[in-house]
Amino acid sequence: MFLKVQLPWNVIISAENLDVKGLMLQRSIIIRLLDDFACKKATKDLGYFLAVTTLESIGEGKVRQHSGDVLFPVVFSGITFKLFRGEILDGVVHKVLKHGVFLRCGPVENIYLSNLKMGDYKYVPGENPVFLNDKLSKIGKDVTVRFMVIGTKWLEVERDFQALVSLEGDFLGPVS
Amino acid sequence: MNCEVSLILEHKYEQLQQMSDDPLNQVSQVFEKSLQYVKRFSRYKNPDAVRQVREILSRYQLAEFELCVLGNLCPETVEEAIAMVPSIKNRGRALDDEAIEKMLNDLSLIKRFE
Repeated sequence: MFLKVQLPWNVIISAENLDVKGLMLQRSIIIRLLDDFACKKATKDLGYFLAVTTLESIGEGKVRQHSGDVLFPVVFSGITFKLFRGEILDGVVHKVLKHGVFLRCGPVENIYLSNLKMGDYKYVPGENPVFLNDKLSKIGKDVTVRFMVIGTKWLEVERDFQALVSLEGDFLGPVS
Repeated sequence: MNCEVSLILEHKYEQLQQMSDDPLNQVSQVFEKSLQYVKRFSRYKNPDAVRQVREILSRYQLAEFELCVLGNLCPETVEEAIAMVPSIKNRGRALDDEAIEKMLNDLSLIKRFE
């Protein structure tokens, strides 16, 4: 789900960007904020950082002792994406394996749907492997599937989320 | 809701396009994948329609996440809506089946006239 968050942040402007008129200063703060934001990728609590919507306030700059940079505490609003347990979402299959499929939903690539959670879908091997059920409904690459999230995991090193999902429930499964 | 995020991310992308020749190089993977996702999974493309959807859903005392899931998944029947968001039937709320049906009908009208 997409979240709207309000965050405090510390933007550091190095000395060489400071010797211009006041208006340019605000612009460099915004540019620096957007750069930092894009690099950050994701956090455990807020999910994946997508975009900055508004800059709420810029505080007074503090000069840092050793480097001569100035630190500006800012507060801004932005949009993030996070998966929640129990949430129902649409995703696209991007990899089909013998014991399950991997789905992609928003910026998350590692969403795993095990064959044990697919109800009566069975693996059909071949050049283009798919999962098929008795009603000939297909789960294969590039198919859109509606699933429920049963668990999520934050990987600190890769700064990524993983999720485990299921089709056990009404109205879940491939959607046309 | 996905459709609202779609409008925001598309706008950001256009801003980037105006500032440089190769916007795709400038955006992160996260942004690109999210933009692709919301464009594909937004039921309502027109900003007025999106506003109307939010307005309609806001009339029903829903929690923010309930509003989002309903706006994203667009259930067609009352049964489907309750399966997607089971909490709308909780705690003696003023949301009986009739109200849910009316809400879904209003939403489908917007889709038709978009």
